[in-house]
Amino acid sequence: MTAVVLTKYAAFSRISVVLASRERGELYGRVAFFAVILGVFSSLWHAVAEAGMPVAADPKALVWYLAATEWIVLSAPSIHLDIQDAIRRGDVVYRLGQPASYLLAEFAASLGLLAVRAPLLGVTGFVCALAFTGSVPPLQALAILVPFALLAAALMTALYLSIGLLAFWLQDVSPVYWVWQKLMFVLGGLMLPLQLYPEFVQRIAAFTPFPVLLSGPASFVLPVASVSPATLARDFVIWSSATALIVRWIFARATRALTVNGG
Amino acid sequence: MQPAVELHQVSKSFRVRRARRAGVGACIRDLFTRQMDTVLAVDQLSFSIAPGERVAFIGPNGAGKSTTLKMLAGILQPDSGDVRVLGLVPSRQRRQLAFQIGTVFGQRSQLWYQLPPRDTFELLGRVYEIDQREHRRRIEALLAVFELGKLIDTPVRHLSLGERMRCEIVASLLHSPRMLFLDEPTIGLDVSAKAMIRELLRTESERERVTLLLTSHDTGDMERVCRRVIVIHRGQLLWNGSITALRRGYLKTKRVTLWSEADHLELRLPGVRVLSSGAYRTELEVAVEITPLGQVVDAAVRQAAIRDMAIEDAPLDEVIRDLYANAERRSATS
Repeated sequence: MTAVVLTKYAAFSRISVVLASRERGELYGRVAFFAVILGVFSSLWHAVAEAGMPVAADPKALVWYLAATEWIVLSAPSIHLDIQDAIRRGDVVYRLGQPASYLLAEFAASLGLLAVRAPLLGVTGFVCALAFTGSVPPLQALAILVPFALLAAALMTALYLSIGLLAFWLQDVSPVYWVWQKLMFVLGGLMLPLQLYPEFVQRIAAFTPFPVLLSGPASFVLPVASVSPATLARDFVIWSSATALIVRWIFARATRALTVNGG
Repeated sequence: MQPAVELHQVSKSFRVRRARRAGVGACIRDLFTRQMDTVLAVDQLSFSIAPGERVAFIGPNGAGKSTTLKMLAGILQPDSGDVRVLGLVPSRQRRQLAFQIGTVFGQRSQLWYQLPPRDTFELLGRVYEIDQREHRRRIEALLAVFELGKLIDTPVRHLSLGERMRCEIVASLLHSPRMLFLDEPTIGLDVSAKAMIRELLRTESERERVTLLLTSHDTGDMERVCRRVIVIHRGQLLWNGSITALRRGYLKTKRVTLWSEADHLELRLPGVRVLSSGAYRTELEVAVEITPLGQVVDAAVRQAAIRDMAIEDAPLDEVIRDLYANAERRSATS
């Protein structure tokens, strides 16, 4: 990839950074939501622990776990909605006609947004979790969590990109996203570590990208991680490659449908 | 000289879902069955455009204008026939072509809505791989021509439609395209904004020898920007020639307004229709092939002294309407 090409896609990231820094309302909303949800679940896990239920054996670790999963989910830009809107309005016709890869441009723009959101939400999660638990996981765990969480948010963005591309056929991708979100809740272990789920759920989850996106990186803040960093890195390579292939395949089908049959 | 645009026997059809039937039962059946129809949008269309020409491309709704424009921009692939733009085949060489053409779709936007146009312009500079210094010079030059001034730093959402359209055109001209496709660039604009856009398009095209192909339903766009008009109907070529020739070829009537000493004039001549009469003013529509204008004036002078007189062509709108109506009649009989 030449410098000119890199600069081209960096420009898409840059304009997203500019946009995110000017339109701060949504970011503040996410920060507030993050703080509230951590406060609510912190109280819940403490109440469950006081009631003597085994699930919240270590309520502090569970709050840190939730802070990690929510950090990933809230940092990932809802690119599927942007793509859907551009397709509905017809503005996508401009982007398709430009001398730039539509997929790379959209992904680069999302990474720009991610670059603004992730630090602020990361600090929010850290401060809130610290305030609600009064403890901090080992620094080594946090050092492993941060790069994997950022990778997970980027992979999640790429998967949202594939959902957004379905708008070429569906116009409204909300139903697909809802199904995705519910699967992520369960098979990704959004609220609770996947190790606490029934055996069959864990077995099903292993065939999906959800553990790589959420429970894998977040489990590093637990006393015992569900996966080693090396295994998680390998899984990232596998799922990133698969996602890249899926996104390209959907886009090729979409543009073929568009160029052959209009839209 | 190689034409800027060349279409030869180009056809394009779409498969569209058949309209839903009425009734609950039909709705449920429609969920499980999908009946498709084939619509021929462009039917063996051929024309060419020389470099630097400004051509209006018109037709009624659904005539195939936007489809043709999208095929020329490489966004749609023709079913058959040859398309060449600046010597390139758009559907196969879209990326190469993208550096040489600009597109303006009146009802779409390439500007980032929440940001000032300057941010989009800078992004486009990178997308089109323009040298930074050259790009800044180009922006400044276009800002002056299009009188954007402070607008370039105003978020797009705060711009009026006319201001936004000027910015859209500038965005399409940043990479100095040799060919500009415009799909209804004046749609929804007020009279003065339309006039400004037309003037800018004409002068920019002349100054930089940019070839223009413009679709519009507004005859003012054609008359003030273009010299040649291509009319299509149901995907087929209906007219390809100068606007003057279109007027001459299809205009069989003249509008005559007479201001006379008499309150009204009684002109009963073959081919002469009185449109309005009274208050010392009479407006006539004269079929000049049946009754020459001289005879009409003579007849009027015999009735009363004529204080003033105006002779005009019928509006181009009417010519176009007649053209469409004739085509519709022909296709109905065939």
